[in-house]
Amino acid sequence: MSTILYLAHTETDGTLAKISREALTAAQELAEGMGAELAVGIIGADVSAAAESIGSCKARFLGVSGDEFSQGRYASDVAAAEALFKVVTPDVVVAPASFRFSRAIPGLAVRVDGRVDTHLTGLEAENGNPVAKRWFYRQRMMGEFAREERPWILTLDPGCFASFEGAGSVDVELVDAALPEMRTTVTGIQAPDADEQTIRPDAKTLFVAGAGWTKKQSDGQSHVQEAEEVISQFLGVTKASLGSSKSLVDISGEGQAVISFLTHLHQVGQTGSTPRHTKGLATCCHGEEPHVVGWRFINERRAINTDASCGWAQGKADVLYVADAFELVKKLNELLA
Amino acid sequence: MSDTVQPQRQEMEADIVCVGFGPATGGFLTTLSRALMNEDGTPLTESKVMPGMPPQVICYERADDIGFGVSGIVTKGRSIRESFPDLDLAQMPMAHEVTEERVAYLLDPVGASRRSAPVKVADAALKFVARNHAVELPWIPDFLQKHDGMVLSMGQFNQWVGTQIMGSGLAQIWPGTPVAEPLLNGRAVEGVRLVDQGVDKQGNPDAGYMPGMDVKAALTVVGDGPVGAVGQHLDRELGLPEGNHQREWAIGMKMVVQLPEDCELKPGTVLHTLGYPEPEIFGFLYVYPDMSASLGIFVPSWFDNPVRTAYRYMQHWMMHPYLWKHLEGGTLRSWGAKSLQESGMQGEPFLAGDGFARIGEGSGSTNVLTGSGVDEAWATGVQLAEAVIELMREAKPYTKENLEAAYVQRRKKSWVGKEAEQAAKARDGFTTGFIPGMLGMALSGITRGGVNMPSRSRKPWERIPRIEDYFKGVVSEQELMQLRKECQAKGASLHDALMNKAGWPEVPLDGKLLVSHQDALLMGGKVVANPGYADHVTFADSYSCSVCTEQVCTEICSGQAISINPEGGAPLFDREKCVHCGACLWNCSKPHPEDDEHTNVRFGAGSGGLHSAEN
Amino acid sequence: MSNEFHIVVCGSIVPDPLQTLEPVQGAQGPELKNEMMLPAVLDPWAGHALYEAADLAVKNPGSKVWLVSLGPKAKLQQVMMNIAQKVPFELVCADGSASGFTDSFEVAKVLAQSIEGIQGMDKSKLLVFGGWQSASRGSCAVMQMVGEMLGISEQFQGVDKLTAGGGGALEIMERIEGGAYQVSVCTGTPAVLGWATGELPEPPNNPQVGMQNMRLVMPALQQAKPANVQGSSLTFQSVELPQQRRETRVVKDMPVDDMAREIAEWLNS
Repeated sequence: MSTILYLAHTETDGTLAKISREALTAAQELAEGMGAELAVGIIGADVSAAAESIGSCKARFLGVSGDEFSQGRYASDVAAAEALFKVVTPDVVVAPASFRFSRAIPGLAVRVDGRVDTHLTGLEAENGNPVAKRWFYRQRMMGEFAREERPWILTLDPGCFASFEGAGSVDVELVDAALPEMRTTVTGIQAPDADEQTIRPDAKTLFVAGAGWTKKQSDGQSHVQEAEEVISQFLGVTKASLGSSKSLVDISGEGQAVISFLTHLHQVGQTGSTPRHTKGLATCCHGEEPHVVGWRFINERRAINTDASCGWAQGKADVLYVADAFELVKKLNELLA
Repeated sequence: MSDTVQPQRQEMEADIVCVGFGPATGGFLTTLSRALMNEDGTPLTESKVMPGMPPQVICYERADDIGFGVSGIVTKGRSIRESFPDLDLAQMPMAHEVTEERVAYLLDPVGASRRSAPVKVADAALKFVARNHAVELPWIPDFLQKHDGMVLSMGQFNQWVGTQIMGSGLAQIWPGTPVAEPLLNGRAVEGVRLVDQGVDKQGNPDAGYMPGMDVKAALTVVGDGPVGAVGQHLDRELGLPEGNHQREWAIGMKMVVQLPEDCELKPGTVLHTLGYPEPEIFGFLYVYPDMSASLGIFVPSWFDNPVRTAYRYMQHWMMHPYLWKHLEGGTLRSWGAKSLQESGMQGEPFLAGDGFARIGEGSGSTNVLTGSGVDEAWATGVQLAEAVIELMREAKPYTKENLEAAYVQRRKKSWVGKEAEQAAKARDGFTTGFIPGMLGMALSGITRGGVNMPSRSRKPWERIPRIEDYFKGVVSEQELMQLRKECQAKGASLHDALMNKAGWPEVPLDGKLLVSHQDALLMGGKVVANPGYADHVTFADSYSCSVCTEQVCTEICSGQAISINPEGGAPLFDREKCVHCGACLWNCSKPHPEDDEHTNVRFGAGSGGLHSAEN
Repeated sequence: MSNEFHIVVCGSIVPDPLQTLEPVQGAQGPELKNEMMLPAVLDPWAGHALYEAADLAVKNPGSKVWLVSLGPKAKLQQVMMNIAQKVPFELVCADGSASGFTDSFEVAKVLAQSIEGIQGMDKSKLLVFGGWQSASRGSCAVMQMVGEMLGISEQFQGVDKLTAGGGGALEIMERIEGGAYQVSVCTGTPAVLGWATGELPEPPNNPQVGMQNMRLVMPALQQAKPANVQGSSLTFQSVELPQQRRETRVVKDMPVDDMAREIAEWLNS
């Protein structure tokens, strides 16, 4: 009988993140589909709370714990994963594609002579064998694939499986991981100020500001400062994540009056990011193809533009409001406040 | 930036520096690189700047890749085949032998085309024999035939040629490197200056400023096409030979279309059209092997409509029943535009001088009778290379005298020169109208240039009428005033509004082949501009712009990169949308303040543009 | 105090980001339609890594930069003409597919072998740079495996900043969840760094750097060894483009108040 090893790491508060719980659902479903046994391996300073938070999962529980494993470091994480692997010797490893594991888990493939596929968005068993799905070429095409090599190590992207819920008491077998000489020390975390932060990956809504905000309005003047106020007020009341079109980001590079809090990191589209949010509201942006490519993971899309025949109208948005964004978003801010 | 020390302009030396990588430079470098090393492994001659090595040959290309640009071409390919006797078109993507040629006169199925009385009479007569509102010519005159020729994608051909040249290790081709100007010393050229990087729109030093390097060379080969900055600069500074002028132009706007699966067109099919959407606009469609086709229209400078966005005309042209039956259900793969120098030999500049030689379209090599340019351009490049090899062998310097004897005479005596002579006046009739133009072409073609239609040559800016005059009877002055006001407020051009008024139907956008102009720019042309370069389109005298009511530059702009400034004065230019077609250069109704042979628009060397290699 | 680094940047070509991509079934599995015709660029993350490497080399005299590239020779040659003017480097080329559908393990194997084969490279001074992901496969896995194969256990991913201090210590900022950075100090080389965007702008084209690089680039391309990346059982059942077209409802002539109400309801739902 084959075995699946689910690997996770604790957060700084000892809990499991949502992405880790989602990966557990995937691992469990895969185990059922393959008729395989499931083992859970958790890495962290203290893994007991995390293990109990998913204790109802029918699996063997293992852990690597200690201060060396409180923070993500490649050398300690991959050593811990290797130690857990050697106890279970699974055919398939399933782990969350968190930043910490995205750093460490691919290296495990070399240590255990396996193969790795990362950032999966789908995983299921077909005729008792795992079949994986992920995006290629920057989310521009979806591939479905399988392979014969084992062990097969897989990491899963967030938002593709339901989060596993079900606490229960469990006994965790602690495993010793032999650490090499540790040459890296984590010295701190630099977190951005919550109020300053305008890129919010976990937000429900993406708000995209296009170049129109800085262009001359009907009175022949541009109102960049007013645009800044309207946009930041909207972000304040909705806690939406801020995105931008390439043209607006490019204007900033050319020294024109621009929205001061926008940087190239905000750029959404073919040459920018492809964020994931439930809803997206595009304002003063034409909805041209290279930009809309970055909206692939925005489920519900609405746009505000003065041009009724802009790109958004061509099957790219669910609803296009033909209106002046200054006026409309101000009204919206009043309603939402 | 004023308190920081600015970097100094650097200098570098080469033996030969070429400007622009197109078919002419392709022919030059192919021929030259094959001769630079002797069979025994010794160099043909020693580099002056790197003793012991073969001559150092560098080519700078403005576009971001040597395959970027636009042009589907049909060519007899005589000179190309001479350079590649074993040429196998199957080895090159988007290339095929010509299998079938047709020329069709298109009638007007929508009733909006502006046709003169004689054209209307002809239309009425042809209606009875027309199928799909078109009449195919029963026979194609010899001078227009491309039998035994080939259809090619210019981009793919350039890539194929460039890869071989670079693979030889004997020449370097650097794309993404615009050349600002020649280094002139009197009438001699001593090399080129590259454009400044790390500058703002106006060209002032900004973050990462790096002044364009001076690349000095004993020979500068100018092959930067009809709107190239170096060629233009030389023409301004040196003038043209007595009696020559560059007044005839056309803008070619083109697409590559993935044909619908049930399309019956066979690879190698060549269709040429005339008569529609306006009698002055010509069209072409060349079929490639992989169910794709290169197609488009030419809008000439003698199409005296001040409102002339080629894009919408191209859409109406594609939707003509004669073409739409093949194209409906197709998908846009690539799009772009390019200016063509249509003066031919009458626009020939000084072909050589101390330290420089001109090749290709910018040197007046295009044959305006046969409508052929690539073959001729390639041939002039080969001829210059042969001349250079001869001069190298004889250890002679690149003086005006030596280049005249070795290159210019070779060119004049070759088929390129002889055929250019015959074609020199072939298009003159068009300066007075469509029908005299067609008759003139036939006359020059049949008599091999012996008898030609008389010309009424005017400078491009002189040809452009007032919008009020052109649309008299279609749009009243009051209506026009109102439309102007509305368009100005929106920063939009008048073109669409006036075409609607003239009876052109709305184009039913389908998101696949019939897409908005901006979508064509992005999905088809993949247009982009790198940061850190100055605007390359500038207006000499903003007062002229402020009193200009035609603003043809905004109408013609292939990428909608030039727009009306709502505050008046010079139009706005958005480098991000420019496809570098250079149409603005000759589509302006105001003369340059210091040189009335040219217009008020200056088109310089710029970075970026099309990123499509399928063309 | 200055450090001497031997920096090997792993990076290959990807389709120019503006191109339309379409998957087709080829003889060896999925590939891109007209793949050899598509204009290519250096992968943007590998580009950041290369510019950071060049900058580090300038700041630490005696350092050297290699670019190790797995890709089809002809395409690499073309892309080199775009990047060789940017910064000085020596090219090491493995002639093989740069497809995003290739198994990441196979790619890592070729890269690790190519790095091992670099003449004059001192492993004790080695920094292996690369993009933390790519615009083709985007696996974020190759660099880690290259590091493992070379026996390097100090690895960092999503790096935006590297500061080389006195005594050879490296301070590294890696991207982590929530827009935050994890700051680590590593005692020194060897190390693997997968770069995010870094902090440097794209350098301007410098023709002199181009001339100098080309003297080594062309021979490197000529000497490129064929690389086999087919040694895996990875099989694709399908590769598809997502369906994107929606039915758009265009709302005009509605009072702004009503529009605002509708949007607010939608945002709150």
